[in-house]
Amino acid sequence: MLKALRTAVLAAVVAAVLAAPAFAQAPIKIGVLTPLSPPGDAGAGQLIVRGAKMGAEEVNAQGGILGGRKIELVIEDDAGTPEKGVAGLRKLASQDKVAAVIGQFHSSVMEATQDLAEQLKVPIFSTQASAKKLTEKHLTYTFRTHVIDPDRVALWNKWIIQQGFKRVAVLAENTDYGIGLVEETRKQFASMNVKAELKTIIFDRAVVDLTPQVLEIKNWKPDLFINVGIGTPVYLISKQAYDVGLIPATPTLISYDAPARPEYWKTLGEKGTYATFIVYYHPTMKLTPRGEAFRSRYLDQFKEQPVYGALNAYAQIMLLADAMTAAKSDKTDDLLKSLLANKFVGWNGTISFTRGEGPYWQQWSPPMLFLQYTKPEQPFTEAKIVFPPDLKTADLMMAPKR
Amino acid sequence: MDTYLLSQYVLSGLVIGAIYSLMALGITFIYGIMKMINWSMGEFYMIGSYVQYALLATVLGWDLWWLALPVAMLSVFVLGVVVQRFLLRPMYAGGVERRDEYATIITIALMVLFRNLAIVIGGPNQYSPKDYARATTLLTLPISGNRLVGLIGTVVLLLLFYVLTRRTWIGRAFRGAAQNRVGIQTAGVDVLRLDMLAFGVGVALAAAAGALLAPDFLVFPENGAITTFKGFEIIVIGGLGSLLGSVVGGLLLGLIEALGSVFLSPAYKDLYGFLLLLGLLAFRPTGLFGERERTV
Repeated sequence: MLKALRTAVLAAVVAAVLAAPAFAQAPIKIGVLTPLSPPGDAGAGQLIVRGAKMGAEEVNAQGGILGGRKIELVIEDDAGTPEKGVAGLRKLASQDKVAAVIGQFHSSVMEATQDLAEQLKVPIFSTQASAKKLTEKHLTYTFRTHVIDPDRVALWNKWIIQQGFKRVAVLAENTDYGIGLVEETRKQFASMNVKAELKTIIFDRAVVDLTPQVLEIKNWKPDLFINVGIGTPVYLISKQAYDVGLIPATPTLISYDAPARPEYWKTLGEKGTYATFIVYYHPTMKLTPRGEAFRSRYLDQFKEQPVYGALNAYAQIMLLADAMTAAKSDKTDDLLKSLLANKFVGWNGTISFTRGEGPYWQQWSPPMLFLQYTKPEQPFTEAKIVFPPDLKTADLMMAPKR
Repeated sequence: MDTYLLSQYVLSGLVIGAIYSLMALGITFIYGIMKMINWSMGEFYMIGSYVQYALLATVLGWDLWWLALPVAMLSVFVLGVVVQRFLLRPMYAGGVERRDEYATIITIALMVLFRNLAIVIGGPNQYSPKDYARATTLLTLPISGNRLVGLIGTVVLLLLFYVLTRRTWIGRAFRGAAQNRVGIQTAGVDVLRLDMLAFGVGVALAAAAGALLAPDFLVFPENGAITTFKGFEIIVIGGLGSLLGSVVGGLLLGLIEALGSVFLSPAYKDLYGFLLLLGLLAFRPTGLFGERERTV
């Protein structure tokens, strides 16, 4: 009996000794919940995953964090729909036990997932979801390192004033992003005293034939057309606006950085020429040493310039690793305190989260630039910066008559 | 609103409605012969657009779109025949008790399968073939060359379909099967083989719509979803099983959606068709050209 007991105790001790290093080396899981299939903007999601993977690889190549623990990414597809986003987050938090979730792109999805993240007590990061209300709710577990819509609208209003546009038409999808931008534009037209007429049309994101809407806008004779589609709709609008003759005769502004991706020219061909679009990164930008190192590795690996989504996802993984290192813990409460108390090296500057007024709550914003393509198949690196004035490399070029 | 502008909206609606009617024709043709609803019709539309794009991008070059179109239709026809032979035929030959449920489950499973296969093979991004023709003007409407090609292609295919069903032996067999599946077997027609052909022709019509609209509505894994809904709306509006109803229903739906989205709100564009459908069902439950079922 005594011998059997001694054997059992010995076996337990051996098992504990063997298990201890394994436990110490258990990876820290970070969720990447992002659109990887339609109707979401799958192109954006793929770039976000690319950046996140490079971040995890960098941390792991340096020996990991918290005593050598590796970062393991758990990638989930939210397909750009709130229901899939919620299901994905529930799985990441409950089954995979992730320390945090990054990768949110569509505002409508994040609107749903951030409420669940609050219940499940898991930090969730907007990588490219910009609706104002996401951070305006002042939720404990929501963080964002991306621009917010009021800033986006303020910038395009300044551009409208500077360019002297008199009739501005906005065609926006019926999502939190599209509707939010339309409402914000109306509001800021009044508050910024923009001396231009505004026409706004909101369309159903699922609709593929937008000919009646672009015809209506064309007949209204705007001198600026703002395309607020995300993913496939941004291309459908551009194509159909071109076919009825609305663009490029009327200058067009695309509300986000889709034209920076290689797929832009493949999808639109010459119809994409003369578009102006908003970006948050340009190859001529001065980056932090961390950002420069990422850019070099990205160029080596993919033979193309990094796109903002990849840069931002990379920076979010790095800042999470830094926050856990500073906290010496991957526990949620410690991570939250660390995120709020520390400053982190991002891709183009220092990131810090403060609890400011309105939407400036646990929010950090990158810069915004307006770029214009002036010839077909123009590389992103050669697009001209047309706004803001202190950074611009060329004036807005009008398209010749077709 | 001036009449010029109104005419543009009307024309725009009629053009897209005509192209939608191809899809509806495929659905109603399959229903007419096989008495089943093919829920994966949109995916055959999607496959048609992918085949068209793949042929143009890799084998034929962008200028030979007119050659790629029949090849895309033929490919999807063959796929349809195979699907019918191995997945749907047991429904009729194997003594399946609940045929409707069987067909629903099989075609919904196909819908999911094809959509996911498209993501696996082609990735989740959208593609676009180069324009089939330059933008032009149709009466008062500035129209993309692709849309005009789509319209002409639809008219040609509708005429060919009319000739097939009215002027050929196989067409008479199709019409016979649509009227009485048992009766036609007494005349020596192999109705199971006829089903196979009917399914192939029906999905090939959907593929034609996908291929014709590919440059305008793009090629991506879910591009058939909307057109499927439109197709179902059209056949109910036009009357289930009525070929003329498919065409008239398509034109009507296109018109209602175009005008509704301009005069009311484009945010509810898909709602207008459903309102038309509900209103019509209330007053004419068989649709515009449908007939009451007669049983003995």
